[in-house]
Amino acid sequence: MKRKLLAIFGVLAVALALLTPAFAQAKGKVYYMVPTLLDEFQTGSVSALEMFLKQVGYEMTTLNADNKTDVQQSQMNDVIALKPAAIILAAVDFNALKPSIEKAMAAGIPVIEFDRQITSTPSAFTSVAGTIEIGYVAAAEVERLLKEKNGAVKGKVLQVLGDPGDPYTLDIQKGFEEKMAAFPDVTIISKPAMQWEASNAGTIVADQMLANPDIDLIFNHAAHLSVAAVAALESAGKQPGDVYVMSSNGAPVGLDLIRKGWMQVEVEQPLYAQAAAVAMFMDKIVAKEEIKPGEYDVLGLKSTVNMEGWGPNIKIPGAAITKDNIDNPAFWGNMKPPSDTVTSVE
Amino acid sequence: MTPTNRRALEFVLDNLVWFMLLAVLLVFSATIPHYFQIGIFANIVEQSSVLGVMAIGLALVIISGHMDLSVESVAALAAMATGILFCSAGIGMGLELSPAWLAVPVSLLASFAVGAAVGALNGYLVVKVKMSAFIVTLAAFIWVRGLVVAVSGGRSAQDLDPAIRWLGIQRLIGVPLTAWIAIACFIAFSFIMAKTRFGRHLIMIGGNEAAAFRAGIKVDRILMLAFVLAGATAALAGWLLAIRTSGATANLGVGMLFNAFAAVVIGGVSLKGGVGALPGVYAGVLLLSSINTAINLMGLPAHYTQVIHGLLVLAAVLLDTAKHSIRQRLA
Repeated sequence: MKRKLLAIFGVLAVALALLTPAFAQAKGKVYYMVPTLLDEFQTGSVSALEMFLKQVGYEMTTLNADNKTDVQQSQMNDVIALKPAAIILAAVDFNALKPSIEKAMAAGIPVIEFDRQITSTPSAFTSVAGTIEIGYVAAAEVERLLKEKNGAVKGKVLQVLGDPGDPYTLDIQKGFEEKMAAFPDVTIISKPAMQWEASNAGTIVADQMLANPDIDLIFNHAAHLSVAAVAALESAGKQPGDVYVMSSNGAPVGLDLIRKGWMQVEVEQPLYAQAAAVAMFMDKIVAKEEIKPGEYDVLGLKSTVNMEGWGPNIKIPGAAITKDNIDNPAFWGNMKPPSDTVTSVE
Repeated sequence: MTPTNRRALEFVLDNLVWFMLLAVLLVFSATIPHYFQIGIFANIVEQSSVLGVMAIGLALVIISGHMDLSVESVAALAAMATGILFCSAGIGMGLELSPAWLAVPVSLLASFAVGAAVGALNGYLVVKVKMSAFIVTLAAFIWVRGLVVAVSGGRSAQDLDPAIRWLGIQRLIGVPLTAWIAIACFIAFSFIMAKTRFGRHLIMIGGNEAAAFRAGIKVDRILMLAFVLAGATAALAGWLLAIRTSGATANLGVGMLFNAFAAVVIGGVSLKGGVGALPGVYAGVLLLSSINTAINLMGLPAHYTQVIHGLLVLAAVLLDTAKHSIRQRLA
């Protein structure tokens, strides 16, 4: 019995040793609070942040909140107790995490907002593409595509949102509809794909194509929803280009659909640049040094740091991916991580 | 009440869910623009295929007096297995077989293997180790979904082999073949439940497990088979889901468990076990799909759809409860 117990403890010890890195990175440990690992942008952000932070000397550990606000709040409390060099937060809920951010900042742990901007409380740094801005870029592309298809900015657009409880999709909708309000001849039908589940998007498209066969364009708020939307179009006997399709986030699946002709535009979130920006400023953030406003070159993208009411905020322009520029390796959907190493901002 | 009236009332009560479905279709057709058309009805049948097949396995386990919360995650795992093996983009390996149609039985067998394995593990823990089915399958619901995320790395597989995808595109009498597969499953399992010893024993076990054991029924073996069948049918649902969406994402099928439960309950299966028939479950699935389609077609703000969905499901269950109280008064 004693031998068996010793063997079990031995195996556990070896497993633990394997799980723990041989040595901590020189500059300290950073925690990344990822909202979910169920979509490709988020899983891509984990590997991108890990890669860039390693280049500037930090070790990163990721905690997944499974899209649950309360889980993320608990994770924040636990991580604050560990006193890491910094916390990178992609909040499940933009407002509910405010007390946790304040608690961490009060404890001297800088909090960096990643991808999802929180304006209600100061944080050490914010790196976002801007969800409302994604809506703006999408609106500009819809304007272009409708003009191309109908000769004028008129027609019917089916907007497939993500889960209606997710502020991320609501912000894209806000930005999109704000810009589209300038075109009264465009009818927008908005439907939510509950829990961002792809087959729900497919169901919406199948039903709407029967109720509104004159739909010109389908705008999905994530590329994985477009896969099901295209499958529904294909089942309905449509050919590529019969109905224009576009989506946002720039995931690999979206780029594949553009290459196959089913999709016209993917509004990219500059994942690599967003992650690289965090790494570039990490030394300054950890040392609590001033981050100067101005223009910075982030992986070749001209990005602007502004001093906002909630702290320094870098905005990196998103791009519209079309058949013409799809092979640009800077798009994270091409899954070619940049070969250039990131250096800390002096 | 005259015997004729009584018989008529009992017929209505026995098939109440079908009458509810008919009423709902009539009301929606009359009030929602574009609802009344063959294409929409074909959509309702097609959209019911995944949930329907999933509900079959769930109903079997519930009729036996137990519970299987893992069906949604098992479906996701089977969909991901199909996607990884037979999708050519994303994380798909793009397996090619010769002749091409072999992809259909091979992917189906792979899905069945995945589902039956999880079902067998659930069954073993419930039947042999005597653990609570609720806890065992709740754990499976979590770990199997975790496995989907782990094997996919959160990425998706898309562009399913055209030989498999063909089943989702090809139509027979206006309805995709995938929906016919679901209908065939309902017919087959309805027959099994009504006309075979396994079906009758399963209902008896659900009604009174101890009495069934004393009557010489091999309770353990039948319960084990019920769990394996629940896993296998959930896997079939996942396979159909992969066909429907031409691939698989890590969150595929999220939320389906609750709809499957709603369909089973609306369909007249008692959560206490021992009561229920599969045709009613299919009507429940069609009812939910009809409601879902109506919501899709109504010009409602996105935020209210879940509220409407929930209230309509509640109304359907309330009607079912009313049915039981009328039946008690008749008895």
